[in-house]
Amino acid sequence: MAIGNLVVQAGPVGASPAGSPLMAIGNLLDRQNPDGGWPYVRGGSWVEPTVYSVLALLSAGEIGPARCGLAWIRSVRRSDGGWAPRADIDESTWVTALVALLPPEHLGEAFHQSAIAWLLDTQGRETTTLYRIREWLLGNPDTPDRHFPGWPWVPGTAAWVGPTCLAILALAKHHQRRPSAAARGRIEKGQTFLLRHMCAGGGWNHGGVNALGYASRPYPETTGMALAALRGATSPKIDLSLAVAREFLRQCRSADASNWLRLGLRAHGQLPVEYCPPPGLSCRTVPETSLHLALAAADRGRGIFGV
Amino acid sequence: MQPLLTRREFVTAGAGVAVLASAGCNSAVVPLPPAAVSIVRAPLYDHSLYDTMRRVLSLHRLDVRGRHIVLKPNLVEFEPASSINTHPLLVHAALEAFRSLGAAGVRIAEGPGHRRNTLDLAEAAGYFKIVPRFEDVFTDLNLDDVSRVYPPRQASRLSKLYLPNTALGADLLVSMPKMKTHHWVGATLSMKNLFGAVPGGVYGWPKNPLHWAGIEESIADLHTAFPRQFAIVDGIVGMEGNGPIQGTPKPAGVIVAGSDPVAVDATACRIMRIDPLRVRYLRLAASDDGRILEPNIVQTAESIASVATPFALIPLFQSLRLEGAA
Repeated sequence: MAIGNLVVQAGPVGASPAGSPLMAIGNLLDRQNPDGGWPYVRGGSWVEPTVYSVLALLSAGEIGPARCGLAWIRSVRRSDGGWAPRADIDESTWVTALVALLPPEHLGEAFHQSAIAWLLDTQGRETTTLYRIREWLLGNPDTPDRHFPGWPWVPGTAAWVGPTCLAILALAKHHQRRPSAAARGRIEKGQTFLLRHMCAGGGWNHGGVNALGYASRPYPETTGMALAALRGATSPKIDLSLAVAREFLRQCRSADASNWLRLGLRAHGQLPVEYCPPPGLSCRTVPETSLHLALAAADRGRGIFGV
Repeated sequence: MQPLLTRREFVTAGAGVAVLASAGCNSAVVPLPPAAVSIVRAPLYDHSLYDTMRRVLSLHRLDVRGRHIVLKPNLVEFEPASSINTHPLLVHAALEAFRSLGAAGVRIAEGPGHRRNTLDLAEAAGYFKIVPRFEDVFTDLNLDDVSRVYPPRQASRLSKLYLPNTALGADLLVSMPKMKTHHWVGATLSMKNLFGAVPGGVYGWPKNPLHWAGIEESIADLHTAFPRQFAIVDGIVGMEGNGPIQGTPKPAGVIVAGSDPVAVDATACRIMRIDPLRVRYLRLAASDDGRILEPNIVQTAESIASVATPFALIPLFQSLRLEGAA
């Protein structure tokens, strides 16, 4: 099997699908569905694991299977310009940000532009003009949160940390290629949204930082995601969260968390040079395996998500 | 599966139909066959649970030979000193008990609402240690293939739901919640536990569309989307106060079980000294058919009075306290 220019140098991928990048590539190829897409674990094709697999295989030089994945992604674009999580779901959602992360030269410029346009047109419901007018009519006081739109998982609902991070990463990558005031404005407001939704002691969880007065704890994976999305931003809050991320990484026993923490710390030049994922780390899903592979390429200077 | 109706239940139901017919059926209370709910003492998470679980199932005379069973525990977060999740020993005891009754297959399935990496969460919560070959019997409902479902009765603004095929395809979906208070809906039991059957891969983490559609209404809708259910509530050590995550462990020493999740949850509420008639989603699900009324529930094994223990409620929900309870 060709492994392109991938060097077998990264730490173990994990017991379940692969013990080396070579095995991880084999595992991804084995799991590709006949329609070209990938499942999360097994079953039908979903957009999220397909995007991550395509990114990983492109970084590994496995162009043929990646092209099949890209063709499937193109085939499931919806009429509103966005993407649904699966072909049989009838609403475009957060996964559109993932599609926007794919290299336009591989995805196709028109498809990329359509994903970017959908993202620029989408925000959490609580920051929309209509919702703010409704709140004003109800006599509810305006809050600063309503001025910094993030992105929802599903349109018509609130913004959360995960989809906001992915949308920022996609827009930032796009903005590097083709600067625009619209993209820059949404990136900056999205980053403010993230900083406002940081946990009290640093780090991020899904976005609920407070439950009836009790401070919620951060998660490793969302902390890594948010730090990746905050690349280039400066704030004492980020320094606080970098310390949390370093501690998470030191204790990390999860492939998903390890992947995102490495991306987040790398975005701020804070990934310890000697870091190697702990032995026995299990990549249990296609996205985990894919991100691990893509990170191995990034270790050699090939950017992933522009990070 | 379970016998459809006993002779006594048939007579009761028949009488109800007669009453309805004479009343013209309009917005009348629909008499249901009495729901059987068992309350069994279980003071500790130890190996006696395997016998206890067999006893629980025998009380309900479940015939699951050749059937596919899906056990749906409640996995939310993991904190070593807390009691957030359904205990893995109870889930394993249920798995073994259903297998011993001749089930063709028993799977464990869950889709946590906050954390994306479900298997990491299950590992932290002790499932890998307790359940042999856990990954082979587990399905992450957040990432499972889905089908579009139109709940037969719609209380929320969601006209349709995408739900995981593993749960939809089960001959019996066994909801196995932790007995907990909940800071938005009062109590989280077997019906609220079905939020974990809503796939994060479609709706995100948290499953925010359910919140915007009305949490209580969504609980009622989800209940109708899964017609073949059984409920086993882990009340051995529950949670009181600011549940479902930041509350305090509360030993209640019971397992509450039955085929009607509404009746099971109403009974669990009474054990917690919460008035089920004031829990809105229970009223929505019962839709005034009377099945959350105590006389309409056939209690087996222990009585409610013998095991009842007040669960502390946050100030917002003091009004849910059952009359006469401390």
